[in-house]
Amino acid sequence: MTLSRARPITELLDTETVQSICDEVWPSLVGDGEAFVPVPVAPPAEVVSAWVDIIGPWTGSVVVTCAPSTAAALTESVLMTRPPTVVDDEDVADALGELANVLGGNVKSVLPGESRLGLPQIGSAPARGRLDDVRALVGQWRGNYLTITVQGTAPHPSGTEVPQ
Amino acid sequence: MKILVTDDSRVMRQIVIRTLRQAGYDDHDIVEAEDGAQCLEKVGSEKPDLVLSDWNMPNMSGIECLQALRASGSQVPFGFVTSEGSPEMREKAANAGALFLIAKPFNEDTFKDALDGVIA
Repeated sequence: MTLSRARPITELLDTETVQSICDEVWPSLVGDGEAFVPVPVAPPAEVVSAWVDIIGPWTGSVVVTCAPSTAAALTESVLMTRPPTVVDDEDVADALGELANVLGGNVKSVLPGESRLGLPQIGSAPARGRLDDVRALVGQWRGNYLTITVQGTAPHPSGTEVPQ
Repeated sequence: MKILVTDDSRVMRQIVIRTLRQAGYDDHDIVEAEDGAQCLEKVGSEKPDLVLSDWNMPNMSGIECLQALRASGSQVPFGFVTSEGSPEMREKAANAGALFLIAKPFNEDTFKDALDGVIA
């Protein structure tokens, strides 16, 4: 039996397209004048991720990863909260998840064929698949580490997928 | 006028409501629903003049909600505010009876373009 290899994300999506999606999403969702800057900074000791899955001709996840403190600051910016109002964990999960959701929806719209978008999830980022099936933008928001990764799904541990 | 804003994300409901105000629609009553099933229920109980709904939600999606509304005879004006705006989804939305589909990210101008003529 011959199984065709799905085209990796690196053949379907270039860095400029992901950046242009960020350029639209940040001012609209995070706030006026806000931007994701694709200049790497040192990663923090602890990170949190939010992601949505895309299921279709290409299957994988769109993942946003940053420090918990950055996620909280993003949430404050999204919600336009001012001291003494503080955001709670539920707000942070919701806001970071919605950022991943909007980025994921826009990534999905530029991929070929019909796909389905999952609901936002938050926690430790899902495992990556093939090495060539990852499009990662490592950068910063307000000087804080933040990455956006469009990554293929890791092979199922049961071995039902063809080993790469 | 009463507007029912439906999204499983509380953050996104707040953003939609804020954008409505920024777009100049600031003198309307706003009610909220967390998913399609609750939206369906609130269309019955709250009698909104317009529904703004996310597409992808747990329990009942926005498109399932719209289809259920039309199947029950409700003709409440309905528009999507969703993170996906592919031509296929726009066609599916229009075929189900949606007036418009606003893709996220959006701003007040996007809202004005879609809502002028719908909101008096």
